[in-house]
Amino acid sequence: MKRIVQAEKDSERALLEAQQEIAQIRKDLPNRIAEMRDKILKNAANQRERELVEAERAGSAEAERIATDGRKHLEELSNIPEARRKQAVEKAIHLILS
Amino acid sequence: MEKLVEDIIKESTTRSQEIRKQGLAGVEQSIREAQDYATREADQIAGGTRTETSAVRNRLTSREKQNVRLAYLAEKNRIVDEVLDDVKARLRDFTQDESSYRSFLVKTIARGLEATPSENVKVCLSKRDAQRFKDTKLLEEALTLAQVKKKIRFSDEPITTVGGAALVSEDGKICTDCTFEAKLTQLQPQLLAEISRILFA
Repeated sequence: MKRIVQAEKDSERALLEAQQEIAQIRKDLPNRIAEMRDKILKNAANQRERELVEAERAGSAEAERIATDGRKHLEELSNIPEARRKQAVEKAIHLILS
Repeated sequence: MEKLVEDIIKESTTRSQEIRKQGLAGVEQSIREAQDYATREADQIAGGTRTETSAVRNRLTSREKQNVRLAYLAEKNRIVDEVLDDVKARLRDFTQDESSYRSFLVKTIARGLEATPSENVKVCLSKRDAQRFKDTKLLEEALTLAQVKKKIRFSDEPITTVGGAALVSEDGKICTDCTFEAKLTQLQPQLLAEISRILFA
């Protein structure tokens, strides 16, 4: 009889422990969720920062390439052969005097 | 007796496991839902980031493209202006060549006569041209070339021009401007197009 009573007591304690364990987990749940959420959003924010920095770098490199090409085209303009300039002057004179 | 104790312990173990299992299932469900929600938010941030990065690149490149385009156009304009300055210098030189210029002036005045709907026309020249051509048969030659019956005379008032002539009706109401300056203005679109075509094609 004694052993039965003890088994009942152990049984109740085990159930109580299980309930307390779950209650504690539930109690910790908001913090756990908040931590997890923070982690996910922080990762997204870090990724955003990295991508923006990369976009700045890539944009600056592209802008530099455009500027270099532009300078090359300007140089080509200043190297127009004298013969073509003379041809343009002749054509203009012809139009005005004709 | 032994069996009863075993059953109590077994039942207790089963119920405890059941409590844990149900409790954990609920917790995991809550975590999954929260995770899904946070992931959706993160996806929104990622979507916004793509727009932002694209805007950053566009801002940097389009600003440079515009600078390059403006510099290129400014350089082209400078070169075209240089050519136009050369053209004006050539026109000034042309007026020094009396024989060629006189012939041009006759044709110009003849065209001006045809274009001026007035019986009496004054021909206005620059001070220098007036001095050079006043005592010549310039107007008679122009009349002959134009084949019109009009009365023409030199104006007493000189005009400011590199070359060419302006024809004014006697009452001053009609003026046909055949000076180089007027031609340059009139032909400007065509001149710019031709010069650009030759230089930059």
